[in-house]
Amino acid sequence: MVTRHPDTDLLVEYTSGSLSLAPSISVTTHLQFCENCSNAVDSLNQLGGDILEAAEAVPVCEDLFEKILLGIDEGSPESASPHGAKITAVDAISDSLPRYVQQFLPKGKLRWRFLSPSLRLATISVGEDRHELALHRIQAGGKAPEHDHNGEEITVVLTGCFSDEDGVYQPGDFIVREPGDVHRPFAAQNKECICLSVLSAPIKLTGLKRVFNPFMGFSPS
Amino acid sequence: MKNSQLNRLCETPMPEVQDWTACLKTIGDYQDKARFSLLFEHFSPRVKAFLIKGGHLNEEKAEELVQETMIKVWRRSSTFSPAQASASTWIYTIARNTRIDCFRKQSRENLESLSADDIYDSSYEDDSHYSSLVQIRRNDHIDQQLKELPQEQSEVLRMMYLQGMSGQQISDSLGLPLGTVKSRIRLAIAKLKIGFASTYKPD
Repeated sequence: MVTRHPDTDLLVEYTSGSLSLAPSISVTTHLQFCENCSNAVDSLNQLGGDILEAAEAVPVCEDLFEKILLGIDEGSPESASPHGAKITAVDAISDSLPRYVQQFLPKGKLRWRFLSPSLRLATISVGEDRHELALHRIQAGGKAPEHDHNGEEITVVLTGCFSDEDGVYQPGDFIVREPGDVHRPFAAQNKECICLSVLSAPIKLTGLKRVFNPFMGFSPS
Repeated sequence: MKNSQLNRLCETPMPEVQDWTACLKTIGDYQDKARFSLLFEHFSPRVKAFLIKGGHLNEEKAEELVQETMIKVWRRSSTFSPAQASASTWIYTIARNTRIDCFRKQSRENLESLSADDIYDSSYEDDSHYSSLVQIRRNDHIDQQLKELPQEQSEVLRMMYLQGMSGQQISDSLGLPLGTVKSRIRLAIAKLKIGFASTYKPD
């Protein structure tokens, strides 16, 4: 059962569109698991709709509707699920992840980087430079080294579970760590744990120096 | 369509639309252009206001995005489900996503073929475990209670939902601590009685 959720103000930023791309992906991922937050997001979108409805109207050009009619005659109606073709899970791990997450994975096999004997990381490129999106994989029974956080980190558990000093985290749990939070996550004995993580990257790094590692707390050198 | 045809459309006796959600459903079901023109008249000036409030758009670009938004409304109308959203909610999310994509293009973020529609997409949800009753439940009170919020709270919600500002940007703009902005958001949302799992968390 999901017990850790995004804060109200984060969901408000998410639904009002000011949250940037990688954190927004982490919120939508959480929604795949959480009926409560999905309902809250529906209500917040409705709030957006009500605010739109109450907005002071600004007149549009007289010929705009004609332009639109020309536009709609050129294209065909969109189908109900335009995204089906994008999913390209090619290995067992990708296949075990929520379908929503699969669409962001690189084509071809995930490239896992070694971080410690029980911890691997695969970065996901979504084309934004303020945050880094990645998958973390802790081996069954594995421990990640104790670490600090350089920036705010969001973690969403996808499969398996992990625990730290504060509790046990199940699939769907949405955990935010602030800079200075020190913890040492470890996976359950019987199953490996895969998480989606978002690290805020206030400093833009390039090339080989771009070593970002939310779980390990590597400082860029 | 020529102007003369448009004029004739306007002369066609059409009941005054009260229920935009039903109107949008009819547009989707029957590709009803006459009703679409009514929906357009009602929503496009509001969508334009929304786009202009977000800043960084000149008149011409705003019109272009209204056009883009309303074309999407038409094309996707057959997928609109009144059980999941009202017309204004649905149009709001389309306008919001259109604005996000426009800003990302302007800031030259590498789009990598990802659009806001992909990010917010919930079509992957296995809705078998969602009770249909929950989906149909509409919070009819939000609209009314929005009007009754203290001005300092409704101001923050408008800055977020109309202007697309983040909590930090509002904090900078109003010269208030971020914590104050966040507590106004939380108070407002609590008054609107929007159910949140996270509000039940002891903290």
